[in-house]
Amino acid sequence: MLNTLLANLPYLLKGAVVTLWLSLIVVTFGTLLGVIVGLCANVGGRLVQALVTTYVFVLRGIPVLVVMLLGYYAFPALGFRANAYLAVGVAQVIYIGAFVAEIVRSAVLSVPAGQIAAAKSLGMLRIGILRHVVLPQAARIAVPPLLNNSLTAIKQTSYVSVVGAWELTYAAREIVERTLAAFQIFLGVMAIYFLICYPLSLLARWCEKRLLVAH
Amino acid sequence: MDYAAQTAILLKGLFPKLLEGFTVTLRVGLVSMALALVLSVLLLGPRLSKNRLIRLPTEAYIELMRNTPLLLQIYMIYFGLPLLGFFPSEFVCGVVGIALQHAAFLVEILRGGIESISQRQWEAARAIGMRRLAAVRYVILPQTFLRVLGPLGNQLIIIVKDTSLVSAIGVMELTMVGKVSIERSAVSIEIFAAIAVFYLVLTSVLGGALRIAERHTAARF
Repeated sequence: MLNTLLANLPYLLKGAVVTLWLSLIVVTFGTLLGVIVGLCANVGGRLVQALVTTYVFVLRGIPVLVVMLLGYYAFPALGFRANAYLAVGVAQVIYIGAFVAEIVRSAVLSVPAGQIAAAKSLGMLRIGILRHVVLPQAARIAVPPLLNNSLTAIKQTSYVSVVGAWELTYAAREIVERTLAAFQIFLGVMAIYFLICYPLSLLARWCEKRLLVAH
Repeated sequence: MDYAAQTAILLKGLFPKLLEGFTVTLRVGLVSMALALVLSVLLLGPRLSKNRLIRLPTEAYIELMRNTPLLLQIYMIYFGLPLLGFFPSEFVCGVVGIALQHAAFLVEILRGGIESISQRQWEAARAIGMRRLAAVRYVILPQTFLRVLGPLGNQLIIIVKDTSLVSAIGVMELTMVGKVSIERSAVSIEIFAAIAVFYLVLTSVLGGALRIAERHTAARF
């Protein structure tokens, strides 16, 4: 009954490895970019804040697929020869960065003003306040939404198949077009994605609960 | 003719097409939102049921939908249904796919809202002699509505953005119009920049409207 799926499993697993790599790279760099941008918005001047606000507003308002297509066509138009992976990867990093920046910014803002006032009255320097008072508290608030954001990012890597980059979803489509075993293959691939995503969602939920308890 | 002038002419010529795609995007968005909302309300009962035989399958469905990519779900409907003898249009496949996934997200938002209302509200309503239905109608639901409006609105905006995925199965919406246009003309980033603006306007208008709605509801209580 599951013979088509089993016969094609090695091929799908190869796709899953590509998906995992893509996810890892995109989530890592996207989060890094977003954290830097988000912190800049908190410590920077008016101009930096306005720039970050614009970046976050624009990117969060358009579909990731459109951003990927923009990236895909932007590289050659700007005179670079980049393969599909690089183009959609960069596009995704920029997209995820906007969401992370917003999470980081609001997490920092949610640290009570009294904490900062108290640190100041103890004579702590600005950088010390940021490092020892604000960031540790903001990090705790930011972790669950950051995990959820990573989860979304992993699922979004499947959209690169639309632009022509080969990974798990692309592989699945190839097999279905050849064998017509849509349910077997797509359900099997869903199971693979589920195995990747579900542990992360459980982790996010666990972190949320712990955070609630701590408060 | 220089590049900028040529691009301007092309974009102007393509504008009616983009507008047409935009209306299809609106249609996909509205229908899938309505469908997702109805489905999520239908799932809410089973999700909150005390009977495990009813609750567990519902939870399994919700988790499966939330932890797998929407694109795959749309593909499964689009390539799968013909095997069962159904041949719905691309539009229907796309809309159903979006609604099936987003209903899972929406039902969790609704559940979170209901569970955040203190048990005492329920007990108090019953204690002053309200019937169960009345307690739900006049005590639990209004408070839930107030709490879920924000996250619900965010999810609706995500639905609007996710409508772009139905381009993968060939629905002629905004993103698809962009892809087709690129193949016929040389301007590529310009078209997608224009498309991005369309989406940005749509999501910000919706976001703004939702924020106003939120403020109005909050003021009513």
